[in-house]
Amino acid sequence: MLNCGGTGFLVDNELLDWKPERVAEFLYKEEGLNKTAIGDFLGEREDMHLQILKAFVELHEFSDLNLVQALRQFLWSFRLPGEAQKIDRMMEAFATRYCNCNCNVFQSTDTCYILSFAIIMLNTSLHNPNVKDKTSLERFISMNRGINNGQDLPNELLTNLYNSIRNEPFKIPEDDGNDLTHTFFNPDREGWLLKLGGRVKTWKRRWFILTDNCLYYFEYTTDKEPRGIIPLENLCVREVMFPRKPYCLELYNPNSRGQKIKACKTETDGRVVEGKHQSYTICAASAEERDDWIESIRASITKDPFYDLVSIRKKKVINTVPEK
Amino acid sequence: MGSYYSLIFSRLFPKKQITLLMVGLDAAGKTTVLYKLKLGEVVTTIPTIGFNVETVEYKNISFAVWDVGGQSKIRGLWKYYYQHTEGLIFVVDSSDHDRIETAAEELKAMLAEDEMRDAVLLVLANKQDLPKAMPVHELTDRLGLHTLRGRQWFVQATCAVQGSGLYEGLDWLSDQLSRR
Repeated sequence: MLNCGGTGFLVDNELLDWKPERVAEFLYKEEGLNKTAIGDFLGEREDMHLQILKAFVELHEFSDLNLVQALRQFLWSFRLPGEAQKIDRMMEAFATRYCNCNCNVFQSTDTCYILSFAIIMLNTSLHNPNVKDKTSLERFISMNRGINNGQDLPNELLTNLYNSIRNEPFKIPEDDGNDLTHTFFNPDREGWLLKLGGRVKTWKRRWFILTDNCLYYFEYTTDKEPRGIIPLENLCVREVMFPRKPYCLELYNPNSRGQKIKACKTETDGRVVEGKHQSYTICAASAEERDDWIESIRASITKDPFYDLVSIRKKKVINTVPEK
Repeated sequence: MGSYYSLIFSRLFPKKQITLLMVGLDAAGKTTVLYKLKLGEVVTTIPTIGFNVETVEYKNISFAVWDVGGQSKIRGLWKYYYQHTEGLIFVVDSSDHDRIETAAEELKAMLAEDEMRDAVLLVLANKQDLPKAMPVHELTDRLGLHTLRGRQWFVQATCAVQGSGLYEGLDWLSDQLSRR
């Protein structure tokens, strides 16, 4: 997770220059950073953080976007913190950049800054369930009275902004770090296979992905979260015969037969539980497909000698325990 | 039967909804206060982009607490929320000697808003666990609370990180507000 200490570590080890532009670019472009942590970092009030915030905002291109579109884009690149002072600084930096990209939209940066702040208030009021008293269009318009250097902004503009926020709240940016999409990008192998249930012996069609020495299976190809994860560490794979299912393969642990394989699955109610399989039986559509999977899985399996050592010791202990 | 009566009772006298604003300088501990008050409750709210707002149920009063603030330019926007406000929670970092004057000015500016006329003021003298923390009487002095006219106020020593003092503060607020 990224925090002040995290970037501090990168800087101390000369992996990152402690210059606003460099840090901003790192936060903006680096994949896999936690967006909440980026938001907290950019929200700090120290001078260096303010400069990084400014440089970070300048990496965004807002030309020809209306204010809400630009805000939607901006608020996707980090998670906006909930503290009013931090939001204030961020909206001020945003407004400066927006007005530089679109010089004819607002008379002054302040107008844009106040309006942006009002839009965040509106989003809070309309979409935070803790707020009972929802802001009406009339109130939104009167809140923004006189913010354009003493003049009013056109009602039509305010009505459009209001409707846009009412119809679609600001999206919570997804944390790359917490999201498995990257893991499943570019897998070693993927495809539909049938999997035999652990307790209930039925065949279920699952989408399998082999990557990072793990076998993941999903209900649908579009699912973001897998139904199950099987780390391949110290497992073996082989061809097995099964009645009426000719092209099966089996994943098993040669050193601890009779024990459950270390794996996890998500129950239908969302709970993540330990896997219940002593071995996994998986069925492919053809002999060729089965052989391809066996080959790929074999290539993925990692061997940890320590693990074998432990399981041999375990066996010895079990065997030497006197029977009652 | 008992639950039946309490059901009727709660229908006849619904929980009072009270909007409170919470202000204070950066890093005074507002967010910690907000989330410590929620502790022990099941938090099921859908996260929303925007300001921290929490509802806290205490002694049959439901408080909706908003984290507000920012520069004076945007104070005009908050006025529309002040109108419904019965109380102001001002959080101050008791150990921050350098910024106590700034905090006093901020508080003064808030109270000067016409819409805050009837709001009661609870000052949370936070971070009392830190070695250089000013005691309550010194903070009262430096915030100029004795010069306030026609305002109900109270200073509560707190250490939000540990959660101490927070409910005592709410006790005072609910006492004041239920008398209205």
